[in-house]
Amino acid sequence: MGAGMLTAAAAVPPRSATLERILSDYQAVAARLPEAPVTREARTRAMRELSSLGWPKSSDEQWRYTNLRAFEAVAAFAPAALTPAALVPAPAAAPVRDPLPSAPELPPTLPGFERLVYIDGVRYQHAATAAAGVAGAQWPAEQRLGLLCDMFASDVAGLRIRGTAAIEVLFLTSAAAAGASCYPRLQVALEPGSELQLVERHLGGTDAPTLVCANIEVELARGARLVHYRLQQCGLHTAFADTLCARLAEESSYRVRQVAIGAACARTSAQVRLAGRGAALSWQAIAVGRGQQVHDTALKVEHLAADTRTEEVFRGIADERARIAFSGHIHIAASAPGSDTRQSLRGLIEGAGAEVDLRPRLEINTDEVKAQHGATTGALDENLMFYLLARGIDRDSARALLKWAFLGDVLRAIELPEVRRAAEHGAAGQLPDVMAVGALT
Amino acid sequence: MSGTDSTTAPAALLDIRDLHVKVGGQQVLRGISLTIGAGQVHAIMGPNGSGKSTLAHVLAGRPGYDIVSGSASFEGRDLFALAPEQRARAGLFLGFQYPVEIPGVNNAYLLKAALNAARRERSLAELDAFEFLAVVRAKIKLMQIDESFLSRGVNEGFSGGEKKRNEILQMLVLEPKLALLDETDSGLDIDALKVVANGINSLRGPQHAIVLVTHYQRMLDYVVPDFVHVLARGRIVRSGDRTLALELEKRGYDWVSGQAAA
Repeated sequence: MGAGMLTAAAAVPPRSATLERILSDYQAVAARLPEAPVTREARTRAMRELSSLGWPKSSDEQWRYTNLRAFEAVAAFAPAALTPAALVPAPAAAPVRDPLPSAPELPPTLPGFERLVYIDGVRYQHAATAAAGVAGAQWPAEQRLGLLCDMFASDVAGLRIRGTAAIEVLFLTSAAAAGASCYPRLQVALEPGSELQLVERHLGGTDAPTLVCANIEVELARGARLVHYRLQQCGLHTAFADTLCARLAEESSYRVRQVAIGAACARTSAQVRLAGRGAALSWQAIAVGRGQQVHDTALKVEHLAADTRTEEVFRGIADERARIAFSGHIHIAASAPGSDTRQSLRGLIEGAGAEVDLRPRLEINTDEVKAQHGATTGALDENLMFYLLARGIDRDSARALLKWAFLGDVLRAIELPEVRRAAEHGAAGQLPDVMAVGALT
Repeated sequence: MSGTDSTTAPAALLDIRDLHVKVGGQQVLRGISLTIGAGQVHAIMGPNGSGKSTLAHVLAGRPGYDIVSGSASFEGRDLFALAPEQRARAGLFLGFQYPVEIPGVNNAYLLKAALNAARRERSLAELDAFEFLAVVRAKIKLMQIDESFLSRGVNEGFSGGEKKRNEILQMLVLEPKLALLDETDSGLDIDALKVVANGINSLRGPQHAIVLVTHYQRMLDYVVPDFVHVLARGRIVRSGDRTLALELEKRGYDWVSGQAAA
């Protein structure tokens, strides 16, 4: 969607106070933002586009479940990294921020993986990574927070892979970012036949409302294979938004394993285009919320070519007063006969004030399509509960075990043992009763 | 009805008196009285819908059953005052006709947690992982189950026969005072039936009573009951020894259903 089209819109929505603050913050820092991750022209285009679309409203269907107030509470939209120390022109190889958070704050390294560390959206102490050359994504209205990252990003982890690689990218939020914003940016391009195992983790937080707004662009050439582990474990004062855009060429494979457990409010907006014949997506995700956390995912998958496949699995647990939402929209174009889609969305409501909203949507514009989809939300299965009780397991432990089992199929789909353990411990940390019964052992 | 003889009877383990139960507003049990002594094996037979599975589940504490009147005492304790998990820990085991699958909770975890819950109840020390494995290994072998199953989810992907063998394995590990086995023989081929029967027989002894709820006589060829009771329309219409089961096999349930209607 270009700015030119938008200026032709009949009605320009009134600017919200939040949008005014965003634009004001942008004007204040625009001249100091580096050219490398996003060109000035692209930043300006994003700014205009966001101005035209406006700040999202809860009355918009696509934003109903996002706690926009968590985003609006952020004091400054300018990047936290935009401090005098950070104004070394990119792509300088020297460390941009110092000191690195002490070792205990960093998870153990993964055997065989190269690790890249970004603090408050800026790289730390590793060779500069050039932009991967992925074309700038076009963010539709339901993904408009991607425009914020386009406007403000200070750096980029650009990965162009030829052959086989394993890379872990840690995005840390430090105390220095309190009240401000971080814009992690990840661009991944796999050349034909290449393979990448990619771990993307978002960690850390501050005591004040802080925005972490990440953009991820993925481009898979013919026959490329990407396994993408995504762990969001931000602090509870973080408003987290990640906007992902992926394009898959023929016979390529994209496997996403996503675990969302942190942040006050987390919004994942993703669009995956299966553009080449035989391209395949497997998206398996869990979200576990407690307190007043909100986890909201909007995933759109477009089948644009013949014989493309999607497997979509989501498991969400809302405890206490948490809200979990997952919108899974699969669109099969007329150009995509032979498409095969399977969608399994399940939500578990554990708290009296908790809410789960699952919205499967399937649009089919061609014949010869296989499509299975199911969405269920409810409480724990009483038959399973009775089975455990009848074995002498106490009620609280039985509940904990069943909650754990509910997440089991997605957690077991995380092939990498170290990542699976991290995901399990992260999820169990959200479910103290699971920790208590030692289900992890 | 009593399954014991007053001159030789062991102390009653379970004593059910005039039990009336409704399910969804429908009367299912209409005055069951039954006494089971330690070490005894009882078979409860009956046509579909006679209430035999309901009896097993009510005793185990499954929710959804309305106990209208009557009582059940287990070792002198009011069974219906206990929660299902308390009944289990007190030594009552229900073997399910349709064991559920619980992916994500592995068999070893469930078995160890269940065993240690029962041991705590008896003021015995909990078993650690090594002690637990030593206990479970011999029973796994008896049930002809591959040890790798311990690390699999509870009943996950198991065939019908494997699920039933797993139920009996759990029973053997927990060593309950009273095992209520709800149609454990259903869906088993002859080889699996022999394995399951062998497992059940290995529990037999003065400390353990067994109630076999079954539709067919064939299980009783392998696990020979001390007493046979026939349920029809929510009542025990006939009790006897194992020859009653053989007679039922010849004459069919119409024989006793007619008596229940009378």
